[in-house]
Amino acid sequence: MKILTVDHLSKKYGNIQALSDVSFCVPEGSVFGILGPNGSGKTTLLGTIMDIIKPTSGTYRLFDEVATEQHRNKIGTLLETPNFYHYLSGQKNLEIAAEIKQKGKDGIEKVLEVVDLTKRKDSKFSTYSLGMKQRLAIASCLLGDPGVLVFDEPTNGLDPVGIAEIRELMKDLHQQGKTIIMASHLLDEVEKVCTHVAILKKGQLVTTGNVNEILSNEDMVEAGADNNDLLMDVLQTLHGPVRIRKEHNRVMIFFPVNTADLAAINSYCFSKGVILNHLVLKKKSLEARFFELTNN
Amino acid sequence: MLHLLKIEWLKIKNYKAFWVFTILYSFAILGINYTGYYVNELTVQSLPQSQLLLGTPYAFPNVWQTVGWMSSWLLYFPGILFIMLLTNEFNFKTHRQNIIDGWTRKQFVSVKFVFAIIFSAIATVFNFLVALLFGFLTTGSHFAFTGMENIVFIFIQTVAYISFAMLMGVLFRRSGAAIAVFFLYGLIFEYLISSFINSKLELSPIGYFLPLQTTDVMLPIPFGKTVIYSNAPAEYILVLASLIYIAGYYFFAMKKFTTEDL
Repeated sequence: MKILTVDHLSKKYGNIQALSDVSFCVPEGSVFGILGPNGSGKTTLLGTIMDIIKPTSGTYRLFDEVATEQHRNKIGTLLETPNFYHYLSGQKNLEIAAEIKQKGKDGIEKVLEVVDLTKRKDSKFSTYSLGMKQRLAIASCLLGDPGVLVFDEPTNGLDPVGIAEIRELMKDLHQQGKTIIMASHLLDEVEKVCTHVAILKKGQLVTTGNVNEILSNEDMVEAGADNNDLLMDVLQTLHGPVRIRKEHNRVMIFFPVNTADLAAINSYCFSKGVILNHLVLKKKSLEARFFELTNN
Repeated sequence: MLHLLKIEWLKIKNYKAFWVFTILYSFAILGINYTGYYVNELTVQSLPQSQLLLGTPYAFPNVWQTVGWMSSWLLYFPGILFIMLLTNEFNFKTHRQNIIDGWTRKQFVSVKFVFAIIFSAIATVFNFLVALLFGFLTTGSHFAFTGMENIVFIFIQTVAYISFAMLMGVLFRRSGAAIAVFFLYGLIFEYLISSFINSKLELSPIGYFLPLQTTDVMLPIPFGKTVIYSNAPAEYILVLASLIYIAGYYFFAMKKFTTEDL
């Protein structure tokens, strides 16, 4: 099952194209990182699938179905900032969240324990530090033990110990078989916890796939021909690739870093009677990718 | 809806400002009517002829209308309160979180309006009790059902003011701007526009059909009405117009909240 399917999603704020024709899907059980610098459209994307933002065009599906509020209350979501009633205590805020999610009060004690807020549960939210607010928001996500969690910059405002704790928590949740969708601008964070990644830059999807393939030190070449099966057969005999994989209507060829030679691939295929209609070097290396992301 | 109201109750149950406002509002209703009652007694005592003009406003059956009209000056109180309840959600971004956690946008708006109707019903009951109290306090006054339609008007007017205020809250999102527009429009500009339409353009009674003015004319000043609201439309038309306005506020608030980015 696909937890989330995003299909040609675009969003314009006046003249600003916040999201531009973004498509990808999140498989069940994955830790899916949405990586991109500030202002790349991560929050807009997550806001759209939570019905906070209306897309200009495109659609999305949750759990392979047309998304409704029924799907949203099966997902624990922290979007952008911890949003709570300032005049209420942490406990009371979680009671409201639990009621809306229709989950009952019983789980509150447990989630407060998980984020280490039990001692402060009766203090007003307005008296919390930034880190405590963030932890309360994570506690709220965990209410009712949902199978899917969406975290937007989950380690925002946390100290190093807090960051380590949250990363451990995410690994635990992943091991329990939960699907986590996480937006982050920290390459390091995505690399450490995610199994899959989608990279956004200025609202455009740069690439998406398995984190090892996208962020590893490999060159990735995307090729296509009229007959991709034949192309696959021909490439098996090509010298150099680490592995070859078919994906949608493309063939992905992986080389050790800095060894992909597009001209060589092209002429080899041509000599074997396969004419390529698509050939792109998608990734050079981790550093190159990071450079591409952070340099505008 | 009961479940939604339960959640709304959780939001306000521990909100001090809500209770302070509500208690002040109750005392103000009692206070403004006591002031009216007392001033009337004094005036009649010192100048018995004045009774010809004033009548017996706090005796049955006039008391229903008098209390309704006096209290209507205080409707800005619950108006501000509901603007605060709404703009709080925008400030805390809890309007987003409620949707994220599984409410629909429609549920968010409709529970606020239903809560406003319940609040108005309670305020109406309170006005009814205050009217009873002053009716019985007035010497020589005997309980009468006549004029009790004014209790229904109090209810409609309260709902109209609060839902107008909530529409301002949804449109402006900030409490300062929403309250300022609500006050300036309700207390100053509407009178100006209304008298401009009725007197300058001589289009009376069209000027009586402005949003809040409609309900003010429906529940008018208990004496000198024919002078102040000359040419006023029939009561049932004003009731109908008020209900249409309330439906309109709900419709536009809903439209804005369900179609835009939150």
